[in-house]
Amino acid sequence: MSLLTRSSMRYLRRHPWLAGLSVLGVALGVAVVVAIDLANVSAQRAFEQSAERVTGRATHHVVGAGTDLDERVYRHLRVDLGVRPAAPVVEGYVTVPSAGRTYQVLGVDPFAEAPFRPYVGAGTGVDLATFMATPGTVLLPEPAQAALGRTVGDTLVVQVEGITRTLRVAGILRPDDAYGTRALENLLVMDVGTAQELFGRVGRLSRIDLILPDTPAGEAELERLRAALPPGTEIIRSAGRTETIRQMTRAFTLNLTALSLLALVVGMFLIYNTITFSVVQRRFLIGRMRALGVTRREVFRMITGEVLLIGAVGTVLGLGAGLVLAQGLVQLVTRTINDLYYVLTVRELTLAPLTLAKGVGLGLGATLLAALPPAREATHAAPQAALRRSQEETNLRDRLPRLVTAGVVLAVLGVGLLLVPGQRIVLSYVALLSVIIAFALVTPAVILVLAHVLRPGMGRLFGLLGRMAARGIVATLSRTAVAIAALMIAIAATVGVGVMVDSFRATVETWLGYSLQADVYVQPPSLVFRRGDATISPPVAGVLQRTPGVQAAYSVRSRDVRSSEGPTHLVAISRAADTYRTFRFQRGDPERIWPAFDEGRTVIVSEPYSYRHGLGVGDTLRLQTDRGERSFVIAGIFYDYGDDRGVVMMSRAAYERFFDDRGLSGLAIYAAPGQDVDALVERLRERVGGRQALLIRSNRALREASMEVFDRTFTITAVLRLLAVVVAFIGVLSALMALQLERARELAVLRVNGLTPGQLWRYVTLQTGLMGLVAGLLSLPLGLVLAYVLVFVINKRSFGWTLQFEVPPALLGQAVVVALVAAVLAGLYPAWKMARANPALALRDE
Amino acid sequence: MADGTTHAPGAGRRRPGEPLIAVQGLTKRYREGEHEREVLRGVDLHIDAGELVVLLGRSGSGKSTFLNLISGIDLPTSGTITMGGTNLTALSEQERTLFRRQHIGFVFQAFNLIPTLTVAENVLLPLELNGRTGADEQRQALAYLAEVGLGDRAGSFPDRLSGGEQQRVAIARALAHDPLLILADEPTGNLDVRTAAQVMALLDRLVRQAGKTMLVVTHDPDLRALADRVLVLEEGRIVDAAATVA
Repeated sequence: MSLLTRSSMRYLRRHPWLAGLSVLGVALGVAVVVAIDLANVSAQRAFEQSAERVTGRATHHVVGAGTDLDERVYRHLRVDLGVRPAAPVVEGYVTVPSAGRTYQVLGVDPFAEAPFRPYVGAGTGVDLATFMATPGTVLLPEPAQAALGRTVGDTLVVQVEGITRTLRVAGILRPDDAYGTRALENLLVMDVGTAQELFGRVGRLSRIDLILPDTPAGEAELERLRAALPPGTEIIRSAGRTETIRQMTRAFTLNLTALSLLALVVGMFLIYNTITFSVVQRRFLIGRMRALGVTRREVFRMITGEVLLIGAVGTVLGLGAGLVLAQGLVQLVTRTINDLYYVLTVRELTLAPLTLAKGVGLGLGATLLAALPPAREATHAAPQAALRRSQEETNLRDRLPRLVTAGVVLAVLGVGLLLVPGQRIVLSYVALLSVIIAFALVTPAVILVLAHVLRPGMGRLFGLLGRMAARGIVATLSRTAVAIAALMIAIAATVGVGVMVDSFRATVETWLGYSLQADVYVQPPSLVFRRGDATISPPVAGVLQRTPGVQAAYSVRSRDVRSSEGPTHLVAISRAADTYRTFRFQRGDPERIWPAFDEGRTVIVSEPYSYRHGLGVGDTLRLQTDRGERSFVIAGIFYDYGDDRGVVMMSRAAYERFFDDRGLSGLAIYAAPGQDVDALVERLRERVGGRQALLIRSNRALREASMEVFDRTFTITAVLRLLAVVVAFIGVLSALMALQLERARELAVLRVNGLTPGQLWRYVTLQTGLMGLVAGLLSLPLGLVLAYVLVFVINKRSFGWTLQFEVPPALLGQAVVVALVAAVLAGLYPAWKMARANPALALRDE
Repeated sequence: MADGTTHAPGAGRRRPGEPLIAVQGLTKRYREGEHEREVLRGVDLHIDAGELVVLLGRSGSGKSTFLNLISGIDLPTSGTITMGGTNLTALSEQERTLFRRQHIGFVFQAFNLIPTLTVAENVLLPLELNGRTGADEQRQALAYLAEVGLGDRAGSFPDRLSGGEQQRVAIARALAHDPLLILADEPTGNLDVRTAAQVMALLDRLVRQAGKTMLVVTHDPDLRALADRVLVLEEGRIVDAAATVA
């Protein structure tokens, strides 16, 4: 090891706090990014496995207008058109209450399965003909058999859309390879007829699988089939379907990644701060080395070497912590996907090498990037012993106008980028970063002004010590400015995210307030909270509508259909007299919207749908219906915060005209005048009894449940925000502690001149407290700017929502308090250390 | 550090009879806001090899500026500095740094030892910077330490040493890599009278013993006793270059 490297390592060893906190900063940043990425990748991998196991080797699917198609299409394909191989599929989900788990159900024709999913039917030893002929039987794959503790001949009680059904285990599937074992995890296999009966879709199929070669002959066959299929049916590529579903979570996962990068950015400022500090502290030492003939390049190498060591140790620790954190986060991510998008079960973390490589790259890269400016500055340390601190401070003061100008230019650039139209989220985050750096650049100038303003007050409150504390911040601006800027950014990030979440919450509360007008809401339990496509059984619906105390009941049908814009969430409503009050339109005149809507000539679309697909009032939307493709004019765009993919709404009458489906996904019930709502809820529950498990909730209960889901989906954001606060806290702690420890000599001089340990303690904590206060105050405008961008630019571009801007004063107060407390705590150790130390030792030359 | 020996313009191109150091018309001006301050005004100076020259001057007379220029740390506004046949003012910053590490040894007022290196490592540093890292160099460094009376403190860190001891380590470090010139900037400024005398005697003995050239910059007139030649820097000019001591 060269002497320069040895000197460098000893410096780190002599400043364990500094080195340790830097390592911790890197580790936390890496851990958060890796954990989020692992959680995202695991969820994505689980989704892909689930898609793979039901798609198998199928290259194409024949699908209907909505979520299913008539089984006669299959017969037509096989018998009339002679298509081989082709396999009918009924897909769905059941819950097994005894195990508290959800299983995917694959209803298939075992005789047609071999070319598609060879693992279905493998090793069962079951007579397939008998299996098909016996209704209510199921084949359990080995993993499910082990988890459920059932074997051949046992019964299995499941729930489908709230209705309890009993199945009998006809055989155990024993796949002969690892792929098959993985593919069959969380899967129940049954005959297509049993699945149709189980899901109440007799005569319907989810899709028909085909294998068409990717050759001219295959293309020709595809064209022949397309021409021969009845209206409303279509042939799509299987990969396209998987991709479409994956797209649903794109904005969600991208924003999670961006938030995780926030922790890394805060971590970077922490590293920047620490390394800048270590360079500034060693300016004289580096100057000595330069005088002895150490070149600039050697100085640069020495500093970056140190930084790489910090980065490497931090990265290794961060990867480990990331794995642990990911175990928890993957559950949060999965729960959010289940609440908002689709059914997903993630049993284990997917340790993607790319994620780990990203962690290493980010850890080392971010550390190096953050350390470049201070390392570069180190190379400019004057090679002479006559350098004075005052000269350094003069240099910074001279640079202030340039820093402010650069800050203003960067801010203008950031704002310019934000104004670029389009839906590019990455560009928005780049703009956000520009604004953050712009604020950091003007910080020293603002500190000068603030310290000047606060100084008289500090003097009046704390006397000479107060004035000294304020003066000290300005006197060592080259160091204090970096620490304050780092703290400001960290705190501002938490303010920004906090205000964004609160704004979102307030918007959703307002929306629920006006959109939920009925007294009681009824819906079957749905596996995906936001996508209520399960149906209320028709006899049960009749019972509910006839219950005494019910004045009127209006229906909602929610399902996925295909449209010219891709898969579309369609909601059909029967309209009550006051329905107009439950909608607020962003575009369109309600006076004209509703009559046209009732006539079934038009549809209305939600704001996210309009935003995502660039559709406006008067545009035409083509929907695949059971009568073939039909065009609908968009009459209005309404505010809706229930589905970020967007919703298309049509009248129930129009729906029944274009679709064969007569299912009801929910009922909105109005109580008769004078009827107690809670009593009505009880009565409705009693009358339904054990016929179907339904969620019958009062208006208030549904609002509470909705807000609960909202809070649940933002749990992960709250966790990330908390982590950013922790990183910020550590940042301020390390920055201020290092600053104070470095002042040992100055503090010793004060002690020698008669400052008591108590006064010293007050002096140090006053100064760190003042720095915390300044950082906390500065974090508020930056935090609000960040919140504004998150609410009005990033959220809009990600999800298409218009949100209210809600600034809770408590959150702002909390930010200042966090900064202040962290700063005061940071002063404790140096004050304690200096109060106990012998001033004579501190005054000795190095 | 191997590049230190290959890229630095070495001495040796000096013609016989030429002085080791030739300074001509050396001027240095600094901008101070709107004004310009001239610290050195056309200084001319020749120093021969093996000479021990003391440059006297009051605070603010430009001594440190002169030292920074002659060591290649800073560049003059005008004029030339030739050392061992190399024109320092024509070199780039990198080349001047490499020249410095090869051919100049420093003794500073504030000792300027590297606190994160042991005493022996501090002496070894100039050797290592010149790419000399073998066992011989280790022995050489320890020999120099023994020479300055600190052979038993090789493993100590500088903060364990007294001021006089630190300056003795600095002397060992200045001589370790066999430089052309030793520059001493107020070498006794931080020492008491007795220790200062001991340190200067040691410096004088070792420099003369090694046949080295030394320029001592100081405001302490007592040091003239050691000098072959005494110069006085006053108002940016060397005004008395004739005084010699037998």
